[in-house]
Amino acid sequence: MATPAVQSFVEEKWQEAFKNLNRGEPGISGLMTISEAWRIASDFLRPRPLSEPRPRYNAHEIKAAFDMLAHTKLLYTVLENFLDDMHQQEYLIKQEVGEYMSRYEETDDPQVIAELVYRLVDWFNAWHPLAEYEFSSLPSIWRADDQNELSTSLGHIVTDHFTVAFHTHIYSILPPSFSRGFKALVSSTLPISYDDMSDSPSPDTFVWDSFFALGLVERYESLIASVCYEHIEDYIREVCAGQWSERMLADVRLWMDSRMLPWMRLPYARGAKDLNEATKMMSGVKSRFDYHICKVLCDLRTSEIFDIIIDFPDSKPALEDLKECLHRVDQRSILVASLRKANKKRLLHPGADTKDILAQYVSIIKCLRVIDPPGVLLYKVADPIRRYLRDRPDTIRCIVSDLVGDSENGTSLVDDNDPLVPLASRDVEDYTDSTWEPEPIDAGPDFRTNKPGDIISTLVSIYESKDLFVKELQVLLAQRLLNVKDGNYEKERRNIEILKVRFGEAALQVCEVMLRDMTDSRRTDQHVQSQKPSLLHPVIISRHFWPTLQTGTFILPQRLRAIQEDYSREYTAFKPDKKLVWLSHMGSVKIEVELQDRTLEVDVPPVSAAMVELFSERDRWSVDELIAQMGRIDRPSVMKGLLVLVDLGILKEEETDHYKLLEVAEEASADPGASRSAAMDELPGVQTAQQQQAEQMRVFWRFIEGMLTNLGALPLDRIQNMLKFAPGYDRNIEQLGMFMEAARREGMVVAKDGMWRLNR
Amino acid sequence: MEQITTSLAPPRSSQKVGVAGSTSDASGSVTKRLSSELMQLMMSSSPGISAFPKSDANLFEWVGTIEGPTGTVYSGLTFKISITFPPNYPYVAPTIRFDSTCYHPNVDLGSGAICLDILQDKWSAVYSVQTILLSLQSLLGEPNNASPLNPEAAGMWDSPSEYKAKLMSHYSPPSDAASA
Repeated sequence: MATPAVQSFVEEKWQEAFKNLNRGEPGISGLMTISEAWRIASDFLRPRPLSEPRPRYNAHEIKAAFDMLAHTKLLYTVLENFLDDMHQQEYLIKQEVGEYMSRYEETDDPQVIAELVYRLVDWFNAWHPLAEYEFSSLPSIWRADDQNELSTSLGHIVTDHFTVAFHTHIYSILPPSFSRGFKALVSSTLPISYDDMSDSPSPDTFVWDSFFALGLVERYESLIASVCYEHIEDYIREVCAGQWSERMLADVRLWMDSRMLPWMRLPYARGAKDLNEATKMMSGVKSRFDYHICKVLCDLRTSEIFDIIIDFPDSKPALEDLKECLHRVDQRSILVASLRKANKKRLLHPGADTKDILAQYVSIIKCLRVIDPPGVLLYKVADPIRRYLRDRPDTIRCIVSDLVGDSENGTSLVDDNDPLVPLASRDVEDYTDSTWEPEPIDAGPDFRTNKPGDIISTLVSIYESKDLFVKELQVLLAQRLLNVKDGNYEKERRNIEILKVRFGEAALQVCEVMLRDMTDSRRTDQHVQSQKPSLLHPVIISRHFWPTLQTGTFILPQRLRAIQEDYSREYTAFKPDKKLVWLSHMGSVKIEVELQDRTLEVDVPPVSAAMVELFSERDRWSVDELIAQMGRIDRPSVMKGLLVLVDLGILKEEETDHYKLLEVAEEASADPGASRSAAMDELPGVQTAQQQQAEQMRVFWRFIEGMLTNLGALPLDRIQNMLKFAPGYDRNIEQLGMFMEAARREGMVVAKDGMWRLNR
Repeated sequence: MEQITTSLAPPRSSQKVGVAGSTSDASGSVTKRLSSELMQLMMSSSPGISAFPKSDANLFEWVGTIEGPTGTVYSGLTFKISITFPPNYPYVAPTIRFDSTCYHPNVDLGSGAICLDILQDKWSAVYSVQTILLSLQSLLGEPNNASPLNPEAAGMWDSPSEYKAKLMSHYSPPSDAASA
């Protein structure tokens, strides 16, 4: 129950309100005017279907009505009322959107979305309270140019309220599939062709204006950005993939400036008055996209890196691009991982030739030096390659043969223009180096800088010591020297001189001796010949300085042996303290073969010459008979000797392993064997370092066998200690363990509780 | 060539005969000779004989293995011997004993001592471990029954089946355990 006090209070308020609304007009005519003004204003504002025309009101009338409402402070109520109405009319828009979207889902045509957007803009304009009227006709309080600050802000408030409300409605109406359509629409406005620079883009400003009106740009900002990103990615993939012979980064940036930026001004620099202002507004966006360009290009090049390296040096521009990109985008570790993976997959497998691996390794060195001069990347990438190469048996051989320019295909790992420098000695810091720089930040603890450019040092440092190289070099040199027929050793001498610079004088002393042996033997031979002319011109080598030569002793025919013995005698007379040991199977013999219908003059290996001698006694021989006649000789050597003669048309294989002398030449049938001996013709029998090692291991095995026979089962360390009795034993216990393990697999020994014993 | 000069050179170690012949005192040439004999023995492939130093610290104590020659009663049996080289080797013969019990006319059943002329008065510096082992191997099949250390065996030699039974009762195959 209201107390009288309350009652009077209410009454007082009522009066006050009434007075306010009636503004002192007689009776309630004031109220009536207000109510009329309210009707006009709310009818004017009421959202309607587009089909229904907005009632035409006299601008003056409207103004009067709004002024009236403003005076009575009812404007806010009108506004709220308007927003409520809008909410009620929302279904109209919803219906249409639904229609458009189902059409879009059928056709997938972004144009439908564009139409929808335009339609929504129509709605927006139709409902906009301030849309149709000139500013001047609006109530002064909604007019922006009014001096009254309150009214200025109020005008904005109305617009803002409306816009926010309208946007909210639209957002709630638009189905999820709209974003897909919107994205398609946005990309359809992008400059289409990638390379057509001529026609300046005519950006579809109208669509963008609509987007802004509907607030779609803000709402779908990330969507728009992703359209840009994808566009850039597509462009880079299309234009740059596989293009390594030119710098692409600058081109891409140019494209960005000339093609993408005008377009990007639409979403990102709206309202800029001139180009300068637009550029200023875009600077943040631009650098973001520039980063993206670098990242995409970096990703692309990273994925291509292996092939880029193969193409080096043609692909150098691509590497420089990559270098620049890596400066912006920190993806060095990704690059390393990617290259390591590619190497593992494509390079470091049994199918790859050691030569190719080395060539690629050298290319990698050069390429990564371009990208990263300090060599941190290189160190990380190279490690697995080096470890792999170390395990390959023929790595040294490949490197060495390359060092002496022996590679068959002519492409040398080493650039001839590289300055000759001694092998870089490691682990020596130069404390006086004024250009010293600290190690790069991502360098590992065991990172070691190599002097840039010295590829030979890098290759040689794959192995712990360079002795291995020298040994292999010796073997190679031996083969080459023995292969020289015309007595011209200049090339070898030059090689040795070059290598001396790298490996040092002392290491190559042995090679020096070998070279001198060759020239000395010629001098000696001249002397011996002057004493007593001989058909024989031997090469006399110092056994201690040469790698082990394959020993193959066969019994020379009497005539040849006599010549040898004569020569030996003369030699001993000339050098009484020395004795010749003949390696009869090496060298070559110039023979003249007289047959019934022809006379052949040919150079053949001694084995073949011996056979010719035998065939002169008898026309037919079987291989076994020949072996019996020639003494200690293995079957392959005999076959090789025979094939040489078969190729010369002197012999013919009648049936398997039986050969016949052709006194009368036979028409050479399209001879499939023509290349047989050529195929078998290899470098003279110098044992490779590998064979020597195997030979050594065989000696050690005898010792192991001996100790296990006599001492019973032994632990590995005892075996290792006992092996010091074996001359030249230099393996460590790990190597011995591996060897024993291999022997165990062969079933020669058994191991139990760490004790090894012979398997018997 | 080196080989020749060493053997032609006056044998320095021979002056030390009888003087404290400890192994550490042995001159390098003895070690060298033993090393090369070991190498020679290892690289030769004589079936059924073998020897090796007992430990890596001492090249003067060897262990040997002899397999009985085929076609004799000893065929298929394996005997261990120990070889001790004197410091003035090879001018003095090494001492050789059977470690495995060996029932043989010229081998003492208890001590393993061997009666073989080249190990005693007929010793010469040109002999080597290899020749000794080969002699021992052939001694197994062809005993010198004129000067037996084991007269019982010598007497039984002509009746092989009995001899074999006696031999087998004494024989035990060498174990594989490390003997050091």
